Amino acid sequence: MGKIRTSLLSILMIFLAFGLWAGGQQASEPASDRQIEGLNSNPLSDYRVRQAIAYAIDMDTIAETLLEGKALAANSMVPNGPWKAEGLNSYSYDPEKAKSLLKEAGWVSSYTLDVVYYYGDQLTVDIMTAVQAYLGAVGIKMDFRKLEGDLGEQLWTNPSDPVNGPSYVKWDMAYAGSAALAMHEYYGKLPTNGPGNSHTPGNPAIDKLVAATKATANIVEQQKAFFALEEYVNEYLPLIPLYYQQLFIYESDRVNRNGGAYGNAQYNYDWGILDWTVEADSNGKHVLYTNTAPVEFFEHPWFNPGLNMANKVLFDRLIVADESLMAKEGQLASSFKVSDDSMEIEFTLADGAKWHDGSAITGDDIKWSIEYALKVPAIHSVFATTFKSIEGADAFVSGSADSISGIEVKGSKVKVTFATLDPNMLLTFSQFPPLPKKYFENSDPLQFQQNSFWQRPVGSGPFQIKTVEMNDYTVAVPFESYYGGTAKIDEIVMYPSGENDTNVIKNASAGKLDYGFTKSVADVKALEAMDNMRVIPVDIPYTRLFYVNKFPKP
Amino acid sequence: MLSYTIRRLMILVPMLIIISFFIYGGLELMPGDAVSYMINPEAAAELSPEKLDALRDSLGLNDPFIVRYAIWFKGVLKGDFGYSLSSGVPIRDIVFDRLPATLELSFIALILSSLFGSLLGFLSAIRKGSIADHSLTVIGMIGVSIPQFFFGLVAILIFALKLHWLPVGGRLMPEYVTYWDRFPHLVMPSLVLAATMTAGVMRYSRSSMLDSLNKDYIKTARSKGLPEWRVNLVHGFRVALTPVVVLVGFRLPTLIGGAVVIEQIFQWPGIGNEFITAVRGQNFPLVMMIALFSVTAVLIASFLVDLLTAVLDPRVKLS
Repeated sequence: MGKIRTSLLSILMIFLAFGLWAGGQQASEPASDRQIEGLNSNPLSDYRVRQAIAYAIDMDTIAETLLEGKALAANSMVPNGPWKAEGLNSYSYDPEKAKSLLKEAGWVSSYTLDVVYYYGDQLTVDIMTAVQAYLGAVGIKMDFRKLEGDLGEQLWTNPSDPVNGPSYVKWDMAYAGSAALAMHEYYGKLPTNGPGNSHTPGNPAIDKLVAATKATANIVEQQKAFFALEEYVNEYLPLIPLYYQQLFIYESDRVNRNGGAYGNAQYNYDWGILDWTVEADSNGKHVLYTNTAPVEFFEHPWFNPGLNMANKVLFDRLIVADESLMAKEGQLASSFKVSDDSMEIEFTLADGAKWHDGSAITGDDIKWSIEYALKVPAIHSVFATTFKSIEGADAFVSGSADSISGIEVKGSKVKVTFATLDPNMLLTFSQFPPLPKKYFENSDPLQFQQNSFWQRPVGSGPFQIKTVEMNDYTVAVPFESYYGGTAKIDEIVMYPSGENDTNVIKNASAGKLDYGFTKSVADVKALEAMDNMRVIPVDIPYTRLFYVNKFPKP
Repeated sequence: MLSYTIRRLMILVPMLIIISFFIYGGLELMPGDAVSYMINPEAAAELSPEKLDALRDSLGLNDPFIVRYAIWFKGVLKGDFGYSLSSGVPIRDIVFDRLPATLELSFIALILSSLFGSLLGFLSAIRKGSIADHSLTVIGMIGVSIPQFFFGLVAILIFALKLHWLPVGGRLMPEYVTYWDRFPHLVMPSLVLAATMTAGVMRYSRSSMLDSLNKDYIKTARSKGLPEWRVNLVHGFRVALTPVVVLVGFRLPTLIGGAVVIEQIFQWPGIGNEFITAVRGQNFPLVMMIALFSVTAVLIASFLVDLLTAVLDPRVKLS
């Protein structure tokens, strides 16, 4: 009997040991798979806590109430459309699930999340207050504060050790927006020691997934790579997407686009401005009133290429994009040819293309513009990536070469050869406007924006500057020698404002605003109520999110 | 009088130096710098610390505070007020571009408010206890209590958006040729500014006049058999104007510094708007120039108020 008992006990022990081993294997298997070996003293390094936060916030309700139905809850950085993976977890509001994940992760309820933001509007404060309440309901304390001063440093400084930290930044979560020109921008801050990666410890899995999105110019292959990256980010939430914001174009009933397309107004696309018409005023003039005229200087178009009206109408690009920002056809370049391996592009400049001062636009202007842009402090990151990929760009930037060897000018042809593949090269050339070299010769690229050129720029687009009364108004008139024809509008009168024009409603009510765009929900509501205005919502790649600091805190 | 004037003028210089140093120091205490304003946070994420440093260096922001102040001060002594950090435009050009807009707005507002405020206060005092006095007191209290931005917005709503009598804002339009073309733009901001200022002047003027009417020299004047209008106007009102002049005098420089709220509401491109933009952008050469301009105006106004007080009130002796 004793032997039987001993044998049974032994068998039980063997089963128990096996069970423990197997259990251990089961526990360790997903642990490795789910990258939780990156766990550190920061509770947010546990992906279950991040998932809990996503489950705890009722984004649908926030979108419906605070955002007045003008936004969509996001489950990925990538907006809805062909670039978005299917079957992603939407983290629909589920406080019980959040609580259970927090319990599983061993969340310490005394910990208070430090959430930062840098927007100055009331809506942001309201959203933070709502998030605070939602997190409080599942047992997460949260404080929020507005950052002031050097935002770049406080938000994006990389830690000295990009794998183990500690982080340089002091916050737990940063509320921000990502308005991507190229899909790659959404994930640009995730790779190990990537620019602006202040928050995500080096992770070979992420590096590999991000690299795969840049490894090909083939759209189908790129999409597949993005889907894989999106699925990873969706599961482990190194970033917590919150909502997709729409853009709202408003126009008065005086304006007729005559078939011109509506698209992402923050950038440049073929919107048919030459064919736009405006009802004549009492003097018989066809004047289009808009905003975003300069207050102190014309903002250069190499960082925000299409955010203000002047940059849209004063400058042309080598290529024009369609409303979805896909390269459509040549613009300043009458044609362009991309090699099969996408490592070369050759532009043929349009006959008769002139700067507004009457001088011809040359290949030399194009080459100089690319070279100069590489030395300017802040240009759009997509442009910078493209230009740095050109053969010989490194040597030029380091000062060991006088020019970029990969840009060859022969008469009206400009050939650009790349050292590394850049999947966004066409996007860059559809947004980057070349500038006339002669106005910048011997000027310091660090003082690019301070150049007197930006008091009255000379462009290449369908409209040219007629009058600038800085901080009063700017008037643009059709450029008679424009190679693409002459615009039907007699004048564009622009009032000074920033991106967020606080006088939209007042000016629209007074009939002194015919075109513009906004992301302000309150302005949209008021504009929709006006008889003389129409509002056209446009889906744009603009995602609001929480960056989550997963490094040990300093 | 002459020695007093010379002495006051000599005190101005060290006062300006000390005040400018404190303003410069105040700017230094603000978080960030001009570069952190110029470079969008998203762009800053892409920039290497070396490039940011080079940019700061090119704008002279890397030097220690005291060195930067010394460089700026030396420039001012030479008449070089520097360049805007954000646009590269000479500060002198910016100030002289914006100043006319502010001056025309503030002078009209100041003249109207001083004139109407003093007269209404005078009438209110000599008709003390009457319906007119009570009405003016109520109007004055409302005027003092209503914030400028609210008053401005209500005015826009009524006169621009409902009645379409006046433009909603701005100062110039492309089609304007003469001053009178753009005069309608000036009406609403200057009247709103004047109305909010009138209330204050009226309250001051009334209480000062009442105080004056109880003085012995008024009784003496009456006992001499002088007509009541002469007693009130020449003996009473003249002395009662003293505190009003002080108030108006000190308002003048602050108006030159910019009627910030009014300029913002009416999109008026004056110094106030420029100052706000410069402070937000930590554009210190521009902030310093506007601040120095305002401080100088305050100090000169203070001096002129002293002189005027002595002229208006025979009891005051300058020494």
